[in-house]
Amino acid sequence: MTPPDLDRRSLLTGAAGAAGAAAVTLTAGDAHAAPPYFQHGVASGDPHPRSVVLWTRVTPTAAATPGSGRGPRVGVRWQVATDRRFRRVVSSGTTTTGPGRDHTVKVEAGGLSPATRYFYRFLYDGVAGPTGRTRTAPAAGSSPDRLRFGVVSCANLQAGWFSAYRHLADRDDLDAVIHLGDYLYEYAPGEYGYGRSNVNVRPHEPPREMVALADYRQRHAQYKRDPDLQRLHARVPFVVTWDDHEVANDQWRAGAENHQPDEGDYLARRAAAHRAYDEWMPVRLGGTADVGDGTRLYRRLRFGTLAELSMLDLRSYRDQQAAQPAPPVPSTDGGVSDPARTVTGDAQMAWLKESLASDRAQWKLVGNPVMIAPVVFPPLPAELSRGVNDVTGLLPEDGLPYNVDQWDGYTADRREVFRFLADNGITDTVFLTGDIHSGWACDLPLDAGTYPLSPSVATEFVGTSVTSNNLKDITGSPPRTTSIGVETAIKTANRHVKYLNFDDHGYAVLDVTGARTQMDYYVIGDRADRNAGSTWTASWATDATTQKVRPVDGPVA
Amino acid sequence: MRRRAFLQVGAAGGATLLFSSGATGTAHAATRRRAYVLVVDGCKPGEITTALTPHLAGLRSDGTDFPRARSLPVMETIPNHVMMMTGVRPDRSGVPANSVYDRGEQAVRDLDRPDDLRFPTLLERMRPHGLTTGTVLSKEYLYGIFGTRATHRWEPAPVVPVSGHAPDQFTMDAAIAMVRELDPHLVFVNLGDCDRVGHSDLTGTTLQAARTAALVSVDQQVARFVSMLKDTGRWQDAVVVVLADHSMDWSLPHRVVSLAPALDADPLLAGNVQIADNGGADLLYWTGAAEERDAAVARMRAVVAGVEGVLSSHEPAALRLGPEAGDLVVYCEAGWRFSDPEVYANPIPGNHGHPATRPIPFFVSGGHRVVRRGVSSTAVARTMDVAPTVGAFFGLGEPRGGYDGRSRLG
Repeated sequence: MTPPDLDRRSLLTGAAGAAGAAAVTLTAGDAHAAPPYFQHGVASGDPHPRSVVLWTRVTPTAAATPGSGRGPRVGVRWQVATDRRFRRVVSSGTTTTGPGRDHTVKVEAGGLSPATRYFYRFLYDGVAGPTGRTRTAPAAGSSPDRLRFGVVSCANLQAGWFSAYRHLADRDDLDAVIHLGDYLYEYAPGEYGYGRSNVNVRPHEPPREMVALADYRQRHAQYKRDPDLQRLHARVPFVVTWDDHEVANDQWRAGAENHQPDEGDYLARRAAAHRAYDEWMPVRLGGTADVGDGTRLYRRLRFGTLAELSMLDLRSYRDQQAAQPAPPVPSTDGGVSDPARTVTGDAQMAWLKESLASDRAQWKLVGNPVMIAPVVFPPLPAELSRGVNDVTGLLPEDGLPYNVDQWDGYTADRREVFRFLADNGITDTVFLTGDIHSGWACDLPLDAGTYPLSPSVATEFVGTSVTSNNLKDITGSPPRTTSIGVETAIKTANRHVKYLNFDDHGYAVLDVTGARTQMDYYVIGDRADRNAGSTWTASWATDATTQKVRPVDGPVA
Repeated sequence: MRRRAFLQVGAAGGATLLFSSGATGTAHAATRRRAYVLVVDGCKPGEITTALTPHLAGLRSDGTDFPRARSLPVMETIPNHVMMMTGVRPDRSGVPANSVYDRGEQAVRDLDRPDDLRFPTLLERMRPHGLTTGTVLSKEYLYGIFGTRATHRWEPAPVVPVSGHAPDQFTMDAAIAMVRELDPHLVFVNLGDCDRVGHSDLTGTTLQAARTAALVSVDQQVARFVSMLKDTGRWQDAVVVVLADHSMDWSLPHRVVSLAPALDADPLLAGNVQIADNGGADLLYWTGAAEERDAAVARMRAVVAGVEGVLSSHEPAALRLGPEAGDLVVYCEAGWRFSDPEVYANPIPGNHGHPATRPIPFFVSGGHRVVRRGVSSTAVARTMDVAPTVGAFFGLGEPRGGYDGRSRLG
């Protein structure tokens, strides 16, 4: 989409005419009314007790379109205030952007107070962009009574409207939104959309699979113009990680299922994808808000003594997926249990263990892009599979997995994590997961084959997709028909899986108190409906110290 | 020697309980405050649920819960009970484990003698303030180490031969009778059934059912105690601290770590290492030449690191354990147990002492107004916080050198 001619005079006139004084007094959530300098909204992310990352993109000239490499270097001011009219500005600064970073702006606003709501905005050429709202994390030593997060993943723009984001933005009780990956998709129009025939509710821009840096930038820009996503970004800080589609489907450390040789060098492609991600997302990639200073995404965010959130990167360091000739037919490839293969990489595994063992906070929340609970047919007791493998070395140690792209395809790493939790008496670890477009609540058994006679070491809540196709969409069957049989089969074989919903799209709300952590699952109506409604469908909780999930009658108020 | 008296008290079912009491020599304090510390030995925090243990769960939800609570090294019964009553770590109390190698006696033995405990406990420290105390400890070795420190004490009886403990029914009979008849300001109760079914079932086959039954039973015993407090008008003056001394882990019969053969295979270590087996923790003692000690410890660490089922090894000082803990503490992994010096020496599946058994229930309840109600705290409470908590309730100052724990009232 080409921005209008940004003659300063006409801009000011236009802004004043179209939105009155709104250019400098926009309230949170009015991102869609932004003047043309700020067409991609504002966002905040990675809240710390005294700082938060602030993001926007400025379009200083009509030619400076995303991915174009055109347009001047410009200075942009930013302000953080305790009031929405910016009478009490508490932190401010100026930064420079230009075509080298696609005119994105990302700063770390410091000097803030813990557990405090702030308003922020950017100003270019004397014009203020939309006002965003954010919230800092509680002080490290404080003990907040409660934390509440939106939990989302898998938002394919071609598959429908982001009603899940809109409904989360309607809430006024979130400390942050945890985005577990597949924030955007790489596919060309027609390749992956709505339902079996892949209808494009909204076709992707650019109209091709994103491969080059300009493609990734333009695709990010398209997503950032979605009004529902813009509004949610403007109201709540995000804590994000990526899964595969931020680069390409089923990516691993040196390739991806959806990367072909004629698309060039994979690592160059990935570097472009990571660069665009760094530019366009409100995240401390490489540990800071600076762009281009590294691509380490796994990091911790602490919320007082109540919770610490460890966000994982399960794509950049993993080995290639094991063979699965006819997915979802369970894989019989014993390679899934090869101890030399990894999903985390050694450094991230050591870091994760440190997160879990340090016990800085009661709840050890893990932002986990792919599911860690075993889903296998049948689950094999460890004692049995170990004995068989001593002879044959052929069996996946935990049973035959149906999805080798998950931790099920890297069972040695999973065992290392689960053993570590058990050996060290670590309690209240909760994995928060996306990726598979369905809602789950699971105990995490040390030995799935003998569960529940063997202990559970943690719990996992999996949230469904914002729009991406799920089982019913793929089979083309009506809701609550074929899926019920599959869900029952999985739960029967995997006794630690307590809740499973393969049919719905939506979002979740995670509520954390000292006594329990609860996941409320909300579903939306038809993704093709721009105004789809939202309803609560299920709630599951894990009580402190139990390492087990239980159903709850209703969502938190 | 203090003058002691014996008191016979009638109990439920017509039984007679025998308490021994020492003269306080001090006027009885006027306070109506009472503190009751109930130790559900070996209970895991997640085992307290509204379905299985409704009375314990009710006490927890009515008071202040500490879901991050932890047992302290070595996660065994005697040291953690000592930490509860002293408020200090084993390097100050002299009691780091259940079982140690006594260099003087050149023998492995339990720390069950009154003079093994070198730090003043609440039981003595309350006395000068006119505050009386009572111990109702189901295990013989606990009765042993606390000796005559309490004003009133019950000697566990009848004792189950295999387990060396009195069943909870009898223990609670004694606790209730002690409160009714002698009304100490502080009563310290150990309920041993939950722990002991884990230890006593040598086959493991009925473990789950026995454990569940023990939990249901202990819940009913605690309910009896609370009812008594309410019926006798003591509840509104009472703080009730409920906790465990350690958690519990189970191992399959073949998941056994025996370090002795590995140590004996090393030329430097052979014949020069004693092992005190504490279930989930082995304490290793160098008995060779002093000048070879550092090299020997390094060898011990290297040797045990290669033994399947070993989790980690630690210098005792790093765990705040004193010299009684020897030269190296070795932990096993979850699902394993030590059996030393012989592989058949420890046949019991229920096990603790290793880090897997750190999580414990810990909540402060009762009717007194100091209790914060309906709170789930993110603070990390520990067994050694009991003495500071009870001490603060009665207005006691800190012991010489201060507590290592802290009060969980505020």
